[in-house]
Amino acid sequence: METLEFKPSAPLTLGVELELQLVNTRDCDLTRAASDLLALIERRPHPGEIKPEITESMIEVSTGIHARYAALLAELRAIRGALVAASDRLNVCVAGGGAHPFQHWSERRIFDRPRFQNLSQLYGYLAKQFTVFGQHIHIGCPDGDDALYLLHAMARYVPQLIALSASSPYYQGVDTAFDSSRLNAVFAFPLSGRAPFSLKWGEFTAYFERMRASGIVESMKDFYWDIRPKPEYGTIEIRVCDTPLTVEKAAVLAGYAQALCRWLLVERPNRVSEEGYLAYTFNRFQACRFGLEGEVVDTASGVRRSILEDILVTLDAIDVHARELECEEPLERVARIAREGNDARWMREAFADGGSLPDLVWLQSRRFRGSE
Amino acid sequence: MSELFFLPSWPPAGAIPWYALLLLAAAIAGELTRRWLRLPRLLGWIAAGVLLGPHATGLIDAATLGGMRGILDVAVGFVLFELGQRVDLGWLRRNPSLLATSVLESALAFAAIFVVLLALEARPLFAALAAAIGIATGPAVVLSLTRELRAQGQVTERMLLLTSLNCVYAFITVSMLVAWLHHEYSGEWLSILSHPLYLIVGSLLLALAFALATLGLLALLGRREDAQFIAVLALVVAAVYAASLLKLSGVLVLLGYGVMARAFDVKRRFVSLAFGRLGQILFILLFAITAASLDIGLLPAGALAGAALIAARYAGKALGVLALAPLSGLSMRKASLLALGLMPMSGVALVLLHDTAALFPRLGPDLSGVVVSAIVMLEVLGPAVAYFALVRAGEADTTGRT
Repeated sequence: METLEFKPSAPLTLGVELELQLVNTRDCDLTRAASDLLALIERRPHPGEIKPEITESMIEVSTGIHARYAALLAELRAIRGALVAASDRLNVCVAGGGAHPFQHWSERRIFDRPRFQNLSQLYGYLAKQFTVFGQHIHIGCPDGDDALYLLHAMARYVPQLIALSASSPYYQGVDTAFDSSRLNAVFAFPLSGRAPFSLKWGEFTAYFERMRASGIVESMKDFYWDIRPKPEYGTIEIRVCDTPLTVEKAAVLAGYAQALCRWLLVERPNRVSEEGYLAYTFNRFQACRFGLEGEVVDTASGVRRSILEDILVTLDAIDVHARELECEEPLERVARIAREGNDARWMREAFADGGSLPDLVWLQSRRFRGSE
Repeated sequence: MSELFFLPSWPPAGAIPWYALLLLAAAIAGELTRRWLRLPRLLGWIAAGVLLGPHATGLIDAATLGGMRGILDVAVGFVLFELGQRVDLGWLRRNPSLLATSVLESALAFAAIFVVLLALEARPLFAALAAAIGIATGPAVVLSLTRELRAQGQVTERMLLLTSLNCVYAFITVSMLVAWLHHEYSGEWLSILSHPLYLIVGSLLLALAFALATLGLLALLGRREDAQFIAVLALVVAAVYAASLLKLSGVLVLLGYGVMARAFDVKRRFVSLAFGRLGQILFILLFAITAASLDIGLLPAGALAGAALIAARYAGKALGVLALAPLSGLSMRKASLLALGLMPMSGVALVLLHDTAALFPRLGPDLSGVVVSAIVMLEVLGPAVAYFALVRAGEADTTGRT
């Protein structure tokens, strides 16, 4: 049985998980390649960890623990290199993006592992529709109380992370009008949304035990929250980002989250309360639907502004902390993304240019390689 | 005129009713095979063809069958085109061990068959011709199985790639041998060089012309799928006839056409084109008509040599695939399944046999005895074994919707 003991970790250390798409080189549809690719990669030592995910057309890569952005970026690039080399030999392409633009969920096959088969039985078509691809960012916390504080303080910045990372405008062959359609697939699950408000690890443990005793969940893995504590790693896990089109952007998002967290932990600039969640789902919808042009409402201060402006204001505030963490570079990139547009915008422009969704996926896979 | 002129005449005139009969019987047999035997449908289509054909019940006689030859050529051409379209030559560049694998498995299969047939006291030239024909894996079988099982994965993709390459090698080897034969019979040196050259270069040029025409036409038609589909189908039929009109190789023209149509499609206009139901009908006709025309009467006499050919061919292909598996990034388990997937042999082998026999009638009977026996046996064995390989590789869709 899982104990919910929070293992302390070095504060503000970073780790990233990326779920990636495996597509064929013919029509760029998702393809069954995870086991072949993993078998080939596992033959010799490689950077990072590469694991199967729920369907055969998906893999998850994760980095080790890093204190600094530069090291994280270097490892992500090394993992990308290993993936690209192996996938070339198998005639498969690896691509980023939060959802595959035209795959049909009914065609997906569930990876042959008991946990995945159980999920598929329980959730039926939802499990297959869950063929979406996210980036998870882990931030180290010294103890459980700090983790809960950070979790609830970060909720205010969830819309920013959604808008910056959004890369799933197309889903099941149509333009969804959303910048991130992926999160709509996540909402369908009964235990999605946000963590209950409490700032004491003891209270949280009691909540979890009640949920487990009543048979609603078996482990923390059953919660599909936007941000959830990961006690065995000693981290909070931010799960709202779409997988960006490049590993470089994945590192930038992680660097931004790290600087934000340092600011929040050190300065404790906002009062954290249940009140703060009043506008949460509204803001989140704005970010998914309109991306950087979406509007966020801060119910405490009454301020209402576009996510783009909100990001620029935040960047100013966390500037000092970025210097401490040696991550000025990703923050400059964040400002550039905010001004020039996110991956969803790039994808819409690329589609308008080429005119076909397979062609778009092809371009996505080129970008992932770093060749464009 | 008969006094009973108002009664229908028997047998019905024209080929149309026979197509209906063949399709109906094949469709039913296919479903039964799937449901009761849990085997691929194409075995049912083959069984229906054999049963109705002149060599079994004779319901469809040799003359009627001869009249169906045209649609058979179109179906074979269509299969080769679709196969070519699935093949990504860029893969050979990214994984050169695959090119080596394909050359090795073909060369070893050729050598093994050649040696075994020599040991069975065949004339060297016959042995070489049979060995050359044996290089080719049956493209219709592997493609049809891939479609039916909706198979995806390394065994599937490599099976399709190696099949398309070994069909080309088989064709080139056969035409060089034929040229050599020509020299033996007629003593003309010019034809030794010029005939294979004409076949190969001419076929590739024709393929190129059709590929460019197709892409141009698709650009013109825009993204309207039904219009694109009809245009492509018409061009495939035209390519089949152009090839036979110019006495070029249908195999090379259609394969090359498919490969080039894909390779030059930089904007990926073409990729979503699926041949769906109509493709299915062509597959059924292809298998049923081929099966009906197989002379199972040759089996008793040629069985031993045929079986030897099959065993030698499998040994050669397996050795080639396994030897380079680690280098090409495939596990030994999947490599052995891939070797099984290369077993089928049918349509293209028959085409090559017919072409050779047409050029050298005196060779026909000897060669046919061995090769047709092997094809008859592999007609059942090949699809069953390849089916087993795809399912065991975990690459078939087992959700039961097939």
